Amino acid sequence: MGNGTRRDFLKITAATAGAAALPWRAQAASKSITLLHESSFIPAFDAYMKNTIAPLYEKTTGVKVNYELTSVGSLPTRVSTITETGSGADLTMDILLTPFLYDEKLADLSDIAEEVGKKQGGWYDAAKEAAVVKGKWKALPFANIGQLMNWRTDWFAEIGVKKFPDTWEELYEAGKKLKAKGHPFGFELGHGFGDNHGWMYPLLWSYGGHEVEADGKTVSIDSSETAAAIDFCRKFFQDTMMEDCLGWTDVSNNKSWMAQQISCTNNAESILYIAKRDFPDIGKVTDQAMNPQGPKGRFHFMNSISHSVFNFSPAKEEARAFLKWLMTTNALGDWYNSADSYYQPLLHGYDKAPMWNVEPRNIPYRDALATAHLPGWPAPASPKLAQSVAKYVVVDMFAKAAGGAKTPDVIKTAQAQLKQIYSA
Amino acid sequence: MTIRTEPLAGLAQRAPRGWSLSTWLDRESVFSWLMMSLPILFLAGFVGYPFFYGILLSLENRPVAQPGTFIGLKNFITDFHDPIFWQVAINTFVYTGAATLLKMVGGLGLALAMNQNFRMKNLVRAFLLLPFIVPTVLSTVAWMWMLDPAFSVVNRLLIELGVPPPGPSWLGNPILAMCSIIVINTWRGLPFYGITLLAGLQTVPPELYEAATIDGASGWQRFRFVTLPLLKPIIMIVTLFSVIFTFADFQLVYVLTHGGPQNATQLFATYAFDIGMSAGQLGLGASVALAMLPALGILIVAMTLYMRRA
Repeated sequence: MGNGTRRDFLKITAATAGAAALPWRAQAASKSITLLHESSFIPAFDAYMKNTIAPLYEKTTGVKVNYELTSVGSLPTRVSTITETGSGADLTMDILLTPFLYDEKLADLSDIAEEVGKKQGGWYDAAKEAAVVKGKWKALPFANIGQLMNWRTDWFAEIGVKKFPDTWEELYEAGKKLKAKGHPFGFELGHGFGDNHGWMYPLLWSYGGHEVEADGKTVSIDSSETAAAIDFCRKFFQDTMMEDCLGWTDVSNNKSWMAQQISCTNNAESILYIAKRDFPDIGKVTDQAMNPQGPKGRFHFMNSISHSVFNFSPAKEEARAFLKWLMTTNALGDWYNSADSYYQPLLHGYDKAPMWNVEPRNIPYRDALATAHLPGWPAPASPKLAQSVAKYVVVDMFAKAAGGAKTPDVIKTAQAQLKQIYSA
Repeated sequence: MTIRTEPLAGLAQRAPRGWSLSTWLDRESVFSWLMMSLPILFLAGFVGYPFFYGILLSLENRPVAQPGTFIGLKNFITDFHDPIFWQVAINTFVYTGAATLLKMVGGLGLALAMNQNFRMKNLVRAFLLLPFIVPTVLSTVAWMWMLDPAFSVVNRLLIELGVPPPGPSWLGNPILAMCSIIVINTWRGLPFYGITLLAGLQTVPPELYEAATIDGASGWQRFRFVTLPLLKPIIMIVTLFSVIFTFADFQLVYVLTHGGPQNATQLFATYAFDIGMSAGQLGLGASVALAMLPALGILIVAMTLYMRRA
C-alpha cells in the first residue's frame, strides 16, 4: 500500500466515523405522532386505522398519525426498547399486563378516561382493572380479546347435547362421550401466550381458588379449592383430550379445529372467523359459548388491549389529544366493526352497537365481559403477577397434574414459586 | 540509462523537516495500532459493552423502565432457590450434551462419506449445507408441521408401519419433546460439523494412507491411527463452537415449544428471555442468562488447554 493510499484510507475512515457519530436528528415532531400497534390478526383492522382513521384525524386537526406495526409477539420487546431508550413512539398499544410493567414511563390519562367514560356510557369494571395502576389511569382501555368455549354443534348433537353444557362437570361428561366417538376435546396446556391462561385461570376461579389474596402479597394457591380445580383438570384432560394438548402453543388448537380433530376448545374469535372465511362447512357447525361454571361461579379471562402515552414523548399533548378524539369519535365504532367483534369494547355505550348484530354467535363475548378478570385476580395486577404469568406457574401446575403428577406436589411447587415471586 | 549517484531530491528535502503528522502516521508502530483500533473499538462496543452491562444488570434489581438498585448476588441466590432454574439447568446440559454428541458422530460419518468419490459430488456437498442455510425460524416451522399429530408425516409413516394411531405425541410428551428438539438441533447443526470435518479430511496427505496400507493396516486401523489423530484439532474446535451455540440456543425452542410442556424443553436462553422480557425483570433475567457462563467458561478453558497440549 502506498503512503498516499494509506492516508486516503485514514481520511475516509475518519470521515465515515465522524458522520456516524453525529447525533441523529429527528424531524420536527410537532405535527406528527407515532402509534405503535401489534399487527392485528384481522388485516382489515390495521388497514382501517391506516387508510381511514389516521387520514381523517390529519384532515380534522392537521396532526399526522404514523401507524407503526410490529409483528405478533414482539410488542413487549419493542415497548421495552422504547421505554429504555426514551424514543421510538409517542403512543403504544398495551396487551394484558404492559401498563403495570411500564407505568413509570406512561402518562396519567385519568382525566381523559373520566371524560370518555362519561360520554360513552361508562366503563366496564374489567376496564378499570386493566388500566388503573396505583390509582391512576395509565392506559385508556380499548377492548378485550375475549376467550370463549368453541364447540362443534353437529358432534355434540350426536351425543344428544343441543345446548352448551352449563357446568364444568357437565362438559366433562359430554367430553368423555365425544372422545369415545373419536372427537376429543383440545384445550391448550402448553406454553403459549393466551389459550392456556385463557381457560385455566377461569377454571381455578370457578372452583374458588386464586394464586394470591386481594392484598397482592399473601400467596393463597395452597387451598382445597385449588386442589379441587386441579383434580378436575386432571380427569378433564385424561378423559376428554389427547396427549398432544400438553405441548400445544396458541396456533395448535386453531390448526386442530380446521383439521376437524377436536370437538371443543377455548379460544378467541379467530376460530369462527377463519372457519367462516376459509372452511365454510366447518364454520356452519362451529358455535361459541360462555365458559362453564364451577361451584363458585362463572369466570372469563381478560385479555385487555389498551393505549398508553409515553410520558417522555415530545408530542405528549398531541398524543393525548388523539386518544381522546379516538375514543369519542364516531369512527371508533367503524374501527371495531372492521374486525367483526374480535375486539370487544369496554364501554357500555357500545353494548348495543351495530357490531353485535353482525354475528349472533359472538354475543357471548359481550356478556362475558361482566365476569372477566386479569390473571392474578382478586389482587390488582403488578410486575410480580407478570412474573408469575411469564413463568407459567398456574399453567404448569395444571399441566403437570394433567400429565399425572399428584395434586399436593404440583401445589407445593406452585406455592414455592409464587412465594419467591411475591415475597421478593 | 545513467546511474544517479546523488540522493533523491524528494527524500533529501523531507528528511530535515522534523515531526509531521504524515511521517508519524507512516511509522509502523503507529499505523498498526491505528489499524487495530477500529476492530478493538468494534469489539469493545458491540461485544464488551453488552457483556459487562449484562454482568452489571445481573447484580441489580432492575425492573424494566425503572432505575436499578445494586443488590449484589441476590439475583443468583433467587435463581438457586427457584426449582424451575435447576430443571432448566439440567435441560440445557442434556440438550447440549446429546445434540453435540450426535452432531459429532453424525458429522464425522457425513464427512467420511462425502470424502469418497462419486458422481455429482460437489452438488451433493452444496445441498448438504441447506439445513444450516435455511433460517432457523423457517425450518422450525416446517418441523412443527412434521411433528403435528394431525398432519405429521412422521406419524403417518409410523401408523402405516403398524403403530396404533394417532402415534407418539412428539411435542406433548415431556421426554419426547426433549428428544424432538435434540433431533432438530442435530439436523440443523450436522452440516456445519460435516463440512468442516470434510475440509480437515482433505488436508490428510494420501501418502500416509498409502504407507499405512503397505504396512498392512485395515480400513478401521487407517481411520483409527491416521485419520482420527490428524482430525482431532479440528474436531475439538468444531465441538467448542457447537457447544457454545447449542448451549445458548433460543430460536428453535422459542418457536417450537416455548419451553413447554411443563418446562421440559425450557433452556437458559428461553427462560432468561421470559423473565427479562415477558416479566420485565431485566436483572433477574440477566442473572439466569449469566448463570451458564461459569460452566461454559470452564469448558472452553479445558478444551483450549487440551488443544494446546495436543
